[in-house]
Parts: sequence; structure tokens; C-alpha cells
Amino acid sequence: MNYVAVAIFVAALAVIAFEWVHRTKAALVGAGLVVAIGVIELEPAIDAVDWGTLGLLTGMMILVGLTERTGIFTYLALRTAQLSDGKPFRLIFLLAGITGLTSAFLDNLTAILLVVPITLLLADILRISPIPLVLVEVLASNIGGTATLIGDPPNIMIGTAVPELTFNDFIVNLAPVAIVTLAVVTTGLYFAFRRQLVVAPERVAELERLDPARDVRESRYVKRSIAVLVGTIVAFFLHAPLHIEPAVVALGGATILLLVASDDVEDALERVEWSTIFFFLGLFVMVGALEERGVIAEIADRLAEATGSTVGQGMAILWGAAAGSALVDNIPFTAAMIPVVEQLQADDDVFEDGLWWALALGACFGGNATLIAAAANVAAAGVLERNGRPISFGRFLAVGLPVTIVSLLVATVYLLLFQL
Amino acid sequence: MRVVSDIELVPAWVPRHATFLQAAEMLVSHPVTAIAVLDDDGRVIGLFADSDLLLGVFPRYLAELRHTAFADDDTGLLDERARAVAGDPIVKHMHEPIVLDESTSATHAAERFLHCDHGALPVTREGRFVGMLGRAELCRAVLRRSR
Repeated sequence: MNYVAVAIFVAALAVIAFEWVHRTKAALVGAGLVVAIGVIELEPAIDAVDWGTLGLLTGMMILVGLTERTGIFTYLALRTAQLSDGKPFRLIFLLAGITGLTSAFLDNLTAILLVVPITLLLADILRISPIPLVLVEVLASNIGGTATLIGDPPNIMIGTAVPELTFNDFIVNLAPVAIVTLAVVTTGLYFAFRRQLVVAPERVAELERLDPARDVRESRYVKRSIAVLVGTIVAFFLHAPLHIEPAVVALGGATILLLVASDDVEDALERVEWSTIFFFLGLFVMVGALEERGVIAEIADRLAEATGSTVGQGMAILWGAAAGSALVDNIPFTAAMIPVVEQLQADDDVFEDGLWWALALGACFGGNATLIAAAANVAAAGVLERNGRPISFGRFLAVGLPVTIVSLLVATVYLLLFQL
Repeated sequence: MRVVSDIELVPAWVPRHATFLQAAEMLVSHPVTAIAVLDDDGRVIGLFADSDLLLGVFPRYLAELRHTAFADDDTGLLDERARAVAGDPIVKHMHEPIVLDESTSATHAAERFLHCDHGALPVTREGRFVGMLGRAELCRAVLRRSR
């Protein structure tokens, strides 16, 4: 049965990596198989689902979806571009900064879906190729999302699976390294793309003539939506002292916003990406089967034997998680690695968070390596393709892989100096 | 009440090798909101609707944006896009058709219209195109008969 559990999980990963069928179908078929064959019984399978992660994702999707109707995110993106005065240096740094920040406090997939279409419009106005800007945004969103518990799906999974790690712990331990990495990577991207982003003065004037606040002024519920979103983010900072789970904060914020700023509940619930929720559900059941059959414990034991010290384990997790995320997708890889790190932690008497930060940094930064490594990359490529600007796997790799290696080097120095 | 016997259909179609511009001219010159794209045997292989026309003439990313009140008409860009899309093969812009058989009842046709985004659907006889049926025409035929 151990081999069956491994075979089903590996087959599902392969199907996801090669995009043979939609990833949600692959995860649900895998979950259905492990239960149907009896690798895991139904009750443990249900217990294996991390409902906190699903609740947090659902709550944030509703919150962001309802706030998006106000036009505030379009305003931010457009205003940021106006502040650049059409200068490539400012344009790249401001767009990377705003995307990184938005990704940290919403989630990176949502941030990308909001920012890429407006970037296409900006590129049209400025008469430049949108691809360098979209690449900067995608890479910045994966790095920015690393900074918080809610910024990137791997962090959401780690944050809900490990109650000892609070929202503030993520910020204190990951935000500094994320900011440094973003600055280093953005500088590199500026030198790579600056010649493609030269804007004619008349196009800059055209951009500056636009009134980005017009949509916001015409929208209903702007103040209420922003107040609830900001209130929810503040509540995330306070969730530990208030003894409230992050999922409860997100779902609470979503419920309040539904009450005060939504006329149509059906429409609001359509903002939830149910395919993503079911993808996670299937993954949790498959990983539960691996745990149930002792596969995870065996991997953890072998990892501990091979690496020895905490430093060795941390480095193996950081680089291994990045490689795994690059080849497959950082969500299933993190789902599988969380119980491995839990097992490694179980052997220690004192809780040490260094290995968790190594996993978060590896999975999130690894999400930049290839086109399939993170949901945000796939989503951005989809928007570009629909608009006749396809980006190939190779072209993404040519930028993403060096960015990932640089990011991991920064993370390695950080972990060795401060965490391991 | 049968569709073809009671309602006048619109012969709005283009062959599969038509260009976007030819299809657009066919569409705007007929009182329907979609036209059929036919193969050499007269079978319907696609539908070109006014929404496809809109997506061809204007940037496709507009479908993914919800807030564009700030945007001005960039005539240079729109002209450039219109010139670029004019010679495109229509098969690049059409989509999968929903087809009504000529024996279809008005009730079933109404149900089909209510479950798709198109204002007109192709009607076929033995698999070959007969004409386009518009929503308004369907309703007008029912209202006329009731009088």
C-alpha cells in the first residue's frame, strides 16, 4: 500500500507538471483513488484536509473579490505607473514594489490577476512590450508573497498547519529577507529590461493625462470595502494575542464585507475560485494517505540521516523545496513537505522555527524558477496568451531561473546567519 | 409551431476561408447578432458573434478589466489594431457553434437562447446550413401568431 500511495501521488504530480489534465481533476482523481483502493480510510482522509487553509483561502478570495469591484486596485496600479514618469528605473521598481506589497497582504495569485490586465493596457498606452513588465510583476509577486502568512499558498499552508507560527512571526522572519531579495532581483531585472522600456515623451504625457480615481469615485461601497479589508489585515496582526485562527480572521472579514458591502451573495460567492479550493482538498487527502502509510516518516528519517545537523536539514529543505517547486508546483510540494518538517521537528524537544522558514523561502522563491512552478505564473501566462502575447516556457525560464538562484543565495545567507 | 416553417431565417454566413473583415461586413449588414461560418459542404463549423467582433476590434484584455472609466480612446492604437485584425482568417475569431435543427420547436429554441450568450443561432436541415434565427425573430413569430 505504501508503494500505491507513492505511485498515485507521483502520478498526480506528473499530470499536474505536464498539464495533461486540469490540476484540480488530477488532485481529485488521486484523492478518490487513495480512498477507493483503501490506502486511507474515509474518516482519516477527511481529517487530513486542512480546513484552516481552505477557510483562509475562501475568506481572502471573497474579501479581495468584493474590494476589487471598487476599482481601488486599478487605481493603485495606474497611479503607480503615473508616478514613474515613464522612466524605466522608476517604472520597474514602482511596479515591483506595489505588486510585492499587494501580494504580501492579499495573495500573489489574486494580485497577478488584478495587475496583469491593467499592465497590458498601460503597455498599450506607453507603446512598449508588456512582457518585461508582466515578468517583473510575476517575479515580484512570488517574492512579495513570501513576506506574510497570507501572501503565498505555501505560507498559508505552513501558517495553518503550524499553530506556533503567528502572522507576526512570518512578517518578522520572512519580510526582511523578502524585501532584500526583491530589491536585489528588481535591480537585476532593471538591467535586463531597461532598453525595452524606453517610453516616448508624448506617451508619458498621455498616461499622465488619465484620471485614475474616476472609477473609484463612481463605485459604491468604496469606503466600507477598504475599511473592512484594512481591518482584516490589522486583525491578522492581532490574531495571536486575540487567540483567533487566521482562517477565522479571513472568513470573519469576508462575512462582514458581505453584510455591509454586497447586494448579491451569489455574485460575491462566485469570486471564490472553487477549482483551487478543490485542488487543495484533493492534495490534502493524497498527502494524508502518504502520512497514514508511514511514507512521510520514512522520508523525514532518511532526510535526517542524510543531512545530520539542523543546518544541513535547513539547506536541504530550502534548495530541495525550490527544486521540487520548480519542477512540479509549489503547492503540492509544500503539502507533501509540511508533514516531513513536522516529523523532523518531532525529534527535537524544543520547537525551532528555522526549518519552517527554510521551507517557506524554498517553496515561495522556487515558484519563480519555471512557468509552472507557481499558480501566479500560470495565471499571468494565461492572460498574456489570451491577448496574443504568449510567453514560452523557455523565455520564462531564462529570467526565472537566474532570479530563483539569486533569491536562494540571499535566503541561504539569511538562514545561515539568523535562523539555523 | 416549427422553427423553419413559421419564422423567416436570415442567410448570414461566410465560408471558412473568409477574413475577419469579410465576416464583420456580413454581420453588420444583416439584422442578426451572429453569423455562421461554413465549410465547403455547407456545414456549420463555427459562429461569429458581435461579441467576437468586439473582441477583435478592441483589446481582448478589456474582458478582464472591470474599471476603465479613466481610459480615453487611443485612436492610433485602435486603427492599428483594426488594420492588423482585418486580414485575420475568421477561423481564428469564431467559436464552437450551437446549432438548431429545422425541426426544433420554438420552445426548445427559446431554451437554447436562454442558455447561451448569442442573440442568433444557425438552423440546419440534414446538417446543412439553412439560415440564422435571431431571438427577436423567434419572439416576434410567437407574438404574431397569438394575434
